[in-house]
Amino acid sequence: MTALTSTAPVARIHREPFFKRHHRPIVSTLSVLCFLLLWEVAAMQGWVNARFTSQPTQVYKAALVIFAKDDFAWHCGVSFVSFALGFAMALAVSIPLGLYLGVSRRGRLFIEPPLMALYTAPRIVLLPILIVWLGIGLGSKVAIVFLGAVFPIMVNTMAGVRGADHRLLTAARAFGATRMDIFLKVLVPGSLPAILMGVRLGVGRGVLSVVVGEMFVSEAGIGHQIMTYGQAMQFNNLLVYAFTISLFGYGLTVAVRMLEDRIRSWRPSA
Amino acid sequence: MIALIRRRPAPFCALISFAVILLVWQMAVDFGFVKAFFISSPSRVAFELVRQAKSGELLTNLSVTLYEFIVGLVFAVVIGGFLGLMASWSETIQHILDPFIWFKYSSPTIAFYPMFVAWLGLGEPTIIVMAFLFAVTPIYANTLSGIKNTDPDLIRAAVAFGARRHDLFFKVSLPGSAPLLIAGLRLAVGRALTGVVAAELFGAAAGLGFSMSYYGQKLRTTEMMASLVVIMILGVIFTQGLGALEARVDRWRTGPVR
Repeated sequence: MTALTSTAPVARIHREPFFKRHHRPIVSTLSVLCFLLLWEVAAMQGWVNARFTSQPTQVYKAALVIFAKDDFAWHCGVSFVSFALGFAMALAVSIPLGLYLGVSRRGRLFIEPPLMALYTAPRIVLLPILIVWLGIGLGSKVAIVFLGAVFPIMVNTMAGVRGADHRLLTAARAFGATRMDIFLKVLVPGSLPAILMGVRLGVGRGVLSVVVGEMFVSEAGIGHQIMTYGQAMQFNNLLVYAFTISLFGYGLTVAVRMLEDRIRSWRPSA
Repeated sequence: MIALIRRRPAPFCALISFAVILLVWQMAVDFGFVKAFFISSPSRVAFELVRQAKSGELLTNLSVTLYEFIVGLVFAVVIGGFLGLMASWSETIQHILDPFIWFKYSSPTIAFYPMFVAWLGLGEPTIIVMAFLFAVTPIYANTLSGIKNTDPDLIRAAVAFGARRHDLFFKVSLPGSAPLLIAGLRLAVGRALTGVVAAELFGAAAGLGFSMSYYGQKLRTTEMMASLVVIMILGVIFTQGLGALEARVDRWRTGPVR
């Protein structure tokens, strides 16, 4: 290694070692693989009861069966439609509201307390009431997804606006920016990372809400299947559905995170 | 009195805001716009709360829920905060934890609830674990991003004045990230409460969530609303407390903070 670096310093400058360039994916993948291996071995060796913990290979076998039968695509579709509708509504409401609350002191004083009360209250508990109001099915599920996702996005948007760099504000004012300019050109771009962080949190809450909603009321959907298999103690099958919905949430979260990294790239770094 | 309101307007405005909501709610029912069966009414809920307080039902449910909530939250703060600190300290640790944290983020924890019941039994231990699992991610994520997103100018200035890594962490990053840490705690309080109540809905012998699912099955809106109001009050107390703390921690910042 020493010989290599000393004889070819130019190559070292242009190409960092493979491990260093791909540090994140390698370490993350290794860590997941270790976990899966431990899980498999622990169940195989009888350190834990495989009936209660399931096993990666068992889940894989169950997945092949479920993908082929069990109306898998249909259940996923049912869950996806409720999630998409509820989340779209949450985005449409929470970002404008969060921006407004971030800018307006009066709005914060009067509107924030009831919203925070609703935010800290477990909105899952509203489900039975929502069912009375909207009926069993799409309406109540969309409503619970909306309620789940709307608050994290709103709170983070608000925090982003309030946390705006005051030197930028001073600079903008010094160069004669109007209030509208400051809002559109300083506060909104400045709070974008925070907004996206809220969206990221909101994705998790929305996915949770759709599952809980379906576990309580639905006749179909991923949550319904999870409840059914949970009650039957068929954890292999339960995990197939739980991982499916988790993967969906994970994919969406990663997408938001990539967006976040892109947007953050204009900022100077340390 | 007026001076007091002007000095600290937040509680008074909140009070007005809630009073208006209660008034509209009560009037909507009294004037027959909405049936009391659907939304109950503040007066009905108040009477129900008095009844539950007298019979001791309220105290039992409240103490059970509070106990589970606090234990879960403490675990979340200790473990989530510790992991967040570790991850902000070393990129490798962050990358090791990353997949699990993001999995935890995006996976609906409640989907694994039946498995926890199988491991820990129905009731208290499972509920505490659910509260912990619900609350731990925002604490971790906000600790990490708070410390990592420290103002680069501050870091540069500190380094220029000879700050070591240790100084940077304790004197720049940690105070700088205080608002985000408390925002994380705020999120965690809400989530821990959600976790407790959601788990109680599924299976418990006492607690506010249990009371709601119990009365929910009987379609008794008033009794459900009573428990909901208690939970909301709990949430508000914690949130307002954290808000006050946030203001105190943030006081050193200068300039026109909006």
